[in-house]
Amino acid sequence: MWTATFRSMVAHKLRLFLTTMSITLGVALLAGTMILTNTMGIAFDMLFGKISAGTDAVVRAEAPYTASEGVGTDRGPIPASVLEQIRQVDGVRAAEGSVRGYALLTDNDGRAITTNGGAPTNGYSMPSDDELLGDVEVLSGHAPRGPHEVVIDGTSAADHDIALGSTIKVLFQGPTQEFTVVGTVGYGDGITDLGGTTSAYFATATAQQVLGSPDQFDSIDVSADSGVSQQELADRLSAVIPQGTEAVTGAAVAKENAEATKENFKIVGMVFGMFAAIALFVGSFIIWNTFTMTVTQRSREIALLRAIGARRRQVLGSLLLEALVLGLAASAAGIGLGVLVAKGLKTLMDAVGLALPFTTLQVPTSAIWASLLVGTGVTVVAALVPARRATKVLPIEALRESTPGAEKPSIRRAVIGVAVLGAGVAGMLSALYGDASFKVFGLGLLAVMVGVLIALPLAVRPLAAAIAAPLKLRGMPGELARQNATRNPRRTSATAAALMIGLTLVVSMGVFASSLKASFGDVLDDRTDADLYVATSSAQAPGFSPAAVDAVAKVDGVAEVSANGWGEAHFEGEPSSYSSVDPTNADDVMNLDISQGSFADLGKDGVVVAKSAATAHGWELGDTVTAQFAQSGDHTLRVVGIYDAKGWIGDDYVISVAEQNAFAGPQLVSTALVTVDEGADVGQVQDAIDAALADHPDAQVLDQAGFQKVASGFIDGLLTLVTVMLALAVLIALLGIVNTLALSVFERTRELGLLRAVGMTRGQVRAMVRWESAVISLIGAVSGAVLGIGIGVALSQVLKDEGIKSVSIPVAQILVYLALAAVAGVLAAVGPARSAAKVDVLKAVVSD
Amino acid sequence: MTPTATATTTTGNPGTAAGAQLAARADHLSKVYGVGEAAVAALDDVSVGLDRGRFTAIMGPSGSGKSTLLHLLAGLDRPTSGTVHLGDTEITRLRDKALTTLRRDRIGFIFQSFNLLPTMTAAENIVLPMRIAGRRPDPHWVASIVETIGLSGRLGHRPSQLSGGQQQRVAAARALASRPDIVFADEPTGALDSKSGTELLKFLRSAVDDLGQTVVMVTHDPGAACYADRVIFLADGHVVDELLAPSAETVLDRMKSLGD
Repeated sequence: MWTATFRSMVAHKLRLFLTTMSITLGVALLAGTMILTNTMGIAFDMLFGKISAGTDAVVRAEAPYTASEGVGTDRGPIPASVLEQIRQVDGVRAAEGSVRGYALLTDNDGRAITTNGGAPTNGYSMPSDDELLGDVEVLSGHAPRGPHEVVIDGTSAADHDIALGSTIKVLFQGPTQEFTVVGTVGYGDGITDLGGTTSAYFATATAQQVLGSPDQFDSIDVSADSGVSQQELADRLSAVIPQGTEAVTGAAVAKENAEATKENFKIVGMVFGMFAAIALFVGSFIIWNTFTMTVTQRSREIALLRAIGARRRQVLGSLLLEALVLGLAASAAGIGLGVLVAKGLKTLMDAVGLALPFTTLQVPTSAIWASLLVGTGVTVVAALVPARRATKVLPIEALRESTPGAEKPSIRRAVIGVAVLGAGVAGMLSALYGDASFKVFGLGLLAVMVGVLIALPLAVRPLAAAIAAPLKLRGMPGELARQNATRNPRRTSATAAALMIGLTLVVSMGVFASSLKASFGDVLDDRTDADLYVATSSAQAPGFSPAAVDAVAKVDGVAEVSANGWGEAHFEGEPSSYSSVDPTNADDVMNLDISQGSFADLGKDGVVVAKSAATAHGWELGDTVTAQFAQSGDHTLRVVGIYDAKGWIGDDYVISVAEQNAFAGPQLVSTALVTVDEGADVGQVQDAIDAALADHPDAQVLDQAGFQKVASGFIDGLLTLVTVMLALAVLIALLGIVNTLALSVFERTRELGLLRAVGMTRGQVRAMVRWESAVISLIGAVSGAVLGIGIGVALSQVLKDEGIKSVSIPVAQILVYLALAAVAGVLAAVGPARSAAKVDVLKAVVSD
Repeated sequence: MTPTATATTTTGNPGTAAGAQLAARADHLSKVYGVGEAAVAALDDVSVGLDRGRFTAIMGPSGSGKSTLLHLLAGLDRPTSGTVHLGDTEITRLRDKALTTLRRDRIGFIFQSFNLLPTMTAAENIVLPMRIAGRRPDPHWVASIVETIGLSGRLGHRPSQLSGGQQQRVAAARALASRPDIVFADEPTGALDSKSGTELLKFLRSAVDDLGQTVVMVTHDPGAACYADRVIFLADGHVVDELLAPSAETVLDRMKSLGD
């Protein structure tokens, strides 16, 4: 049996190659994803781990809760006086206060050194103790000593030609200051930056001034005497430190960071993993289809094996063995390709502006095992059904001469497919127009996809008729192409389904993104009265210094500047994001349909809540809301306003910038809205602001069109990322078309011979196969586009309350996709068409 | 051996007067399979003329080269040497495209089995060559063929819904539908029961008699051959004999003598 298996595999090299490729590509995406996320995880570990190496215990402020994701919990500061207490504790060898904060470096020309994709730009105090310095090592120059000295990371220095001794500006939350670069640092092993971030090191006293406040530290790092364990040290420290602070071991801090990192990458990993799953799912269709077809073709061979005494189980075993070998080989190749995919994905994310910390590619063994397992598993499972069916063939049936005829889709399939589809639509509608939750919507969406996949064979005939209608112009080859595409609806639908899945996702994302962009434009039109916008100079930067807002306010012709900020806290025990506004002018520059109260009343403890949240909690003006900030604990806030129009602000809770600074410490500004004086020329004011921002390279001024373009650019970037990821699924689908056509041509050798004998030219035969391919791919593309538009519109609708008010269908873009699908279909047919045209007339028509 | 000489003489004169009477002719046709010592001559210097408006049968034992001859005459295969003329056209010179168009427009085919496209109805199969050519079939002509063939009620059926005999009659109708210069039939009754076979042969006969068509048929069945006006006998790649106005008995006798 083994010999038979391998012989038959080798005998069909093209089929073997195409089938292998469909799994290989899927596995490559999976492996690439795992390699990439693993590498980024290691980069993040470095970011946190490298700097805390050598620290045995950390004293820090207690936080009322710990953030489970992000870069860890943002804690409040502790008084500098604690340091002296700590130094008295027995077993403390060294202790130093540590300060960390926003510090944006500029290059020799004063331009901001932005990190790709908004990786943090950090400033640190530089410990003087060697142990506490951890892995940080001075590469050139010396540690910062005076109030005007800075040491920067090696990568920033090298990339921007910043020489020792040169003077650069550094931007902080407070005023910008000039420093002399006195050294560069690295982190061991030739690494010169912390996972794509920029770092500035200051003498501790300087750091306190520019990053925090002179009498406070963010934490105190402690190194133990030899013989004192981390736990002992932490216990002894706990006994002396004041209330509101805690002492934890260095190991515990490292672990916390590692866990936060893992959480961080769950999302990235999940998103990429989803694409890999889609690719593999599409690939499994091709495996299923290929095995179904080859098993049909080999039914005589199988019957012969059965007739000469092979047991059903042996035949099944042989087929599954073939799938296993195929799956293993394809997965192994996929892992190799995965390294390239990881590099490609990284480049892609850079290009889109989503750069994340990165280091040299790390291939984890788990990725190898998982890829092998998943790839092989998918192959074998996809082959199982056709293989089982093959073994049920009675020997005598298969030995009988038969032509591959049409297969009618079953009624049962129709009923089940339509039922699942209907349930899905009902679920989605009840979420859209009823009270059902987002979960119901998601399940409905899934059911719609499954229902369509089940029922697609039924739609093949009408779809083909509609799509092929213009092909009638092309005479007989067009007519035959349509007939051939519909003669086996299940095969056609399985082939087209692969493409449909890809197109559905691409189109629904396109519709969603387009709606998002249109809505953003509407939001700017309707919800703000701003003439100009001040935004971060790089799309993904966390924010800009409030100093920039002050600078803009001083510009002639500027009537109002209203800063907006953003943060996370717990409200009524639930984690939620909040926005911060300037209460003095928020009512003037924003138009958020405040039904009751006013932003002006925010004061020291006010909060404006969204109407949806107010309704849910039964809040009215004057009611209290409990908010908990990681930095400062509990605060009781009064409801001073209720707003109805989410969009410009999408959060349930809005507080003042002053409150935010009080509760969460000094913050960056995310955007600022600017109105100009009556009669002032907006363009001139913009130029003036632009000039004023020369000293604030972390911010830029934009008019509405420009601001919209930046936002659209980011959405487009994300869309490109998604599209490219899905392109792989589409590529796999096209391989599937090639495979199906090749096998169909092989199956129809006699028909092709007959057509050639009665006068069909080679060109007409090629055209026939090409048209068939175009019809199949358009069946997939059209149904995918329809489904995608539906899902995209539904997605936009379900997020209506989140501010997506407009629905926009990118018609031109979708038409381009359809045209591309048709062209791709024609290209996929090149090989099969050639072999169809080469069919030997005599061999085909003469029965032996 | 005299009859052979007659046949050769008929076709040996490529004169215009004689040529006008011939629907097709082969001159010094050879077909060799394989090379060197493995070379086998399926046809060896065969010259034969096929009369217009007549029903010719080609007979011979297995391996005599009768099918090879038919394939070469019909432009389905290329000879190793020699020429084939269809009317005045030397088809052995034509490139694939011209040859294909010639098959489509001027030749009809009936094969032993698998004559019809499974996805098309009988009616669609009948007009297939004309549809391939992008031409509109002549409705009166097609109707008259369909009537002769007696399939009027089953035109909307697909091949899988027709019996073997009906399928072959549809194939015959297709072969005639484009009014070809010549119809080639390769063992058309080979896969049929005797009743269906008889019906098909009667139809071919009437196509010649009533519709003025030219039919050339390869068969190994003496019963089938006696429907022809003329029988050409092949053995070992040579034309060895010929018989005019054959009967089953005379054909059988000749065949027996060939077997010796």
